[in-house]
Amino acid sequence: MDEFEIDKREVRRAFSRAAANYDAAAVLQREVCSRMLEKLDIIRLQPLRLLDVGSGTGWGTRQLGERYPQAEIVALDIAIGMLQAARGTSSWWQKLFSGGRQRFVCADVEALPVAAQSLEMVWSNLALQWCNDLPATFVELQRVLKVDGLLMFSTFGPDTLKELRTAFSGVDGYSHLNRFADMHDIGDMMVAAGFADPVMEMETITLTYDDVKAVMQDLRSIGAHNATAGRAQGMMGRAKWARVLRNYETLRRDGRLPATFEVIYGHAWKVQPKQARDGRTIVQTDFRL
Amino acid sequence: MDTKLLDILVCPLCKSPLVYRKAEQELVCKADKLAFRIRDGIPVMLADEARKMTAEEVDQLR
Repeated sequence: MDEFEIDKREVRRAFSRAAANYDAAAVLQREVCSRMLEKLDIIRLQPLRLLDVGSGTGWGTRQLGERYPQAEIVALDIAIGMLQAARGTSSWWQKLFSGGRQRFVCADVEALPVAAQSLEMVWSNLALQWCNDLPATFVELQRVLKVDGLLMFSTFGPDTLKELRTAFSGVDGYSHLNRFADMHDIGDMMVAAGFADPVMEMETITLTYDDVKAVMQDLRSIGAHNATAGRAQGMMGRAKWARVLRNYETLRRDGRLPATFEVIYGHAWKVQPKQARDGRTIVQTDFRL
Repeated sequence: MDTKLLDILVCPLCKSPLVYRKAEQELVCKADKLAFRIRDGIPVMLADEARKMTAEEVDQLR
């Protein structure tokens, strides 16, 4: 048995008993990664070079390496510490048998340092929620893919942490808007960026916590803190904050506080660009002279 | 740094090819006059972490 199997089992177990002792970031990353890998089962593509955007500690990258032993895999993350950790956790036999196929680049997905049309596949697990400009990010991801290349990703949808927003509502005049894009909007962004027929799916995963503090601690690590608590907490008086906590407490069931994560899955293929070399858009019609 | 990675790396800003300065462990974008450091074998392709180069320094690379 290898270390991945053990990890996977632990993750699933953690989910079934409501991940009290795990931080949501790690639990969600692995669970969502596993579900994305299952989606790859039905996709017939053997990428020669693939990019893992937001590779984190590299758990998903290693899964991809096992699935595509022929592929050269580039792990990209904005935090160099993550990449160093990822490199460090590859065991000696993985390094030996992967033949150094895993490469590491520290970069921002919104400004990819990757040549146009250089990859058959881009994979991104719960990273795109960090982007400030999602439409532009899809243009970047489309740029680096080869024609007929695949983008597969997961991110958070607008219902993520709805309990927290409920707890905030009515406490102050400040609107705690969620910055997570809707699944349909994401699909439209992908089409606008030059992807064909995106397949979008959504599911909600509910974790339970001991207290609101524990919910808060997880926000930062998943990229949700801007949307809700992190910003508000600093701007809010003690009395108002106490009301938020009281509001959230009304949601307690079976002794635990729920926190919902709406996970959006998407994949799409890059199609032949519909633009001429000089930038004019090619419009195909059935019209004949 | 792995030379295979060099095949696909470009400047994150202007997407032009980079000059690999092996001794300095830097990847240089001449157009943007930026030197991206390679730390511990990992290229750090973040514009705000890159070293700004003078025009003379860039010219010497030719």
